[in-house]
Order: sequence, then C-alpha cells, then structure tokens
Amino acid sequence: MGWGSVDRLDPALSGNGRVLATVVRRDMGDTVLLQEQPSGAILPLRQLRRQQPHRSPSLSWNGRYLALIVQQGPQRQVVIEDRATGRLHRLPLPGELVPERLSLAPDGRRIAIALEGGGRSRVQLFDLSVLLEPDLPAGLPVTGPGEAGP
Amino acid sequence: MRGPGGDRRALAVGVLRAGTLALPLLLAGCLAPMPRPLVGLNRRLEAAGPAAAPSLAGDWLALIVSRDGRDRIELVDLNRQQPVPLPGLERPDAQPLSVAVDARGERLAVVRQLEGRTELVLYRRNLMALQPVVLQPPGVPRRVALRADGRELAVEVSREGQGQVDLIDVP
Repeated sequence: MGWGSVDRLDPALSGNGRVLATVVRRDMGDTVLLQEQPSGAILPLRQLRRQQPHRSPSLSWNGRYLALIVQQGPQRQVVIEDRATGRLHRLPLPGELVPERLSLAPDGRRIAIALEGGGRSRVQLFDLSVLLEPDLPAGLPVTGPGEAGP
Repeated sequence: MRGPGGDRRALAVGVLRAGTLALPLLLAGCLAPMPRPLVGLNRRLEAAGPAAAPSLAGDWLALIVSRDGRDRIELVDLNRQQPVPLPGLERPDAQPLSVAVDARGERLAVVRQLEGRTELVLYRRNLMALQPVVLQPPGVPRRVALRADGRELAVEVSREGQGQVDLIDVP
C-alpha cells in the first residue's frame, strides 16, 4: 500500500464496514483518504482538494456520504460529499461556533457536531433529511413520515 | 454612435440580463434545503454541561460530558431524549478520551486513561460488562470508531510516535 511510514489518524468505518476513511498526514496538510475494504483500493474524492487540513471524517452506511471538517481560508467548515452524485453540501453553523469533531449517523439522516465557542464546548444535532437521501443497508424499505418502520 | 436614450436602453437590458442570471442563483441560495437543528435535544445537551467527542448511530448518541470537574461518558437515547445508565462502565479515576457506539446502542468502544496508561475497552450494555481490547503489536490507542453493527473497531494507535490505524474484529 505504501502508507507504512505515513501518519494515519482519525479512522471511520462505513456502516457496512466496506469503506475506511482515515486522515493521512501530508506536506499539503492532513488529507482524508478513502479505501475499500478489505482490498485497500483507494476510492476517489472529487471535491475536497485544496481544503486541507481535513479532520474528523465520518461515513454513512454504504459510504455514499462522507462528512468531515475542512478549512476554507481562515474558517473551518462542515461539508458532506455525496459520492454518488459528486455534490458537496456545505453546512452553515450557528454564530461564531467552530467545529471540532463530527459524527454522521449511518443512515445519513442526522449529524452530531462538537462545536467550540464562547469558551465552551458543546455538541449539537442537525436533521439532514431535507438535504440527503437516506443511505440504508440493502433490503431495508425507505419509510417516510407517518409510515410505520419495519 | 449611440445617444443617451440608447445608453439607458443598453443599461436597462444589461441590468435585466444580469438580474435574469442572478435571480436563479439568488433563489437557489434562498431555497436550498438547510439542515435543521434539533432544538429541543440541543437544549437538553447544552444543559447537561460542556460536551465533546460525539458518536452517532441509529437512535443513539454517545459523547463525553464534563460535569463537576470530571469527564464522563453519556449514552443518550434520541427517541426518549434521555441518557441511559451505563453500570460498570464508569470509574471516577478514569478519563475518557474517545467513545463510539453501535447502531443498537448495545456496544460502546472507549479509549480512556486509567492509572497512568491509556487503554481501549469494549462495553456491552446488555451484559453490563467491560472487556479490554488488546492491541497487537502493543501501542497507545488514541481514538476509536465502531462499525454500525458493532462487529469491527477502527482504532488510531500511536506506535513509537507514529500514528497507525488498526482494524479489529469483535466477536
């Protein structure tokens, strides 16, 4: 794989375990790396170049969505790359809060973000159902509001 | 040569054209779906104290909350919007560093400092049992992630100053 001597940090697994995200320490800044498991084959990311350092990657069930914190000029931003469409969703955050860590629910419906601001750290949850299609395990029906789950 | 009336017409056409181009972008910006903060839940989390290191899976949120000068792990049932008890997990002399939960809220993987060393443990809620996870070769765990079904760990491990990632099957 050729990654033996490179620092690898911040691992995240897709819900089905078929995709591994890690942050690789490189000259250009910490960069997220996606790999298929167990082959180790590298999966392309289209939208995240020149937004290093990357931190706190988190994957949905099938690895369709990759949420992470990127650097945009002087600001940290939370973004979600939809690997199926190539689209990059940017999540606006309230006030002057700075994202530190995040965790995307495997179905992609919610995200928890650890934020720093005003001398205090907090965790806030956001509903993403208007933004993302669910990424569910194969064979599960998609249920909408008012419908009973399986 | 164009007279003043022609300039005004050209300006009007230019403004109209720019407006026609800008309007869809403006509308798209206004109408773009936005993530919605879960206000009630966020208020409860805020009231619980400073918090960090979230792990979200299924209807469960695990996180590290600071209270009374001590960091502790909390597991929140998002449907009931209440933390659930974790008997046998907490020790007053342990400092949690990282936590991960599976989608059923049954398994928690924890990196914690205890008695001067850093260890990785797996907590099974239904058994109320804590089990150490041995790293081979030995190293210092830093951060942990758990597959949604709780059957595999991904662990950031420091070995001789270098960050590595171990994948560990969990029976």
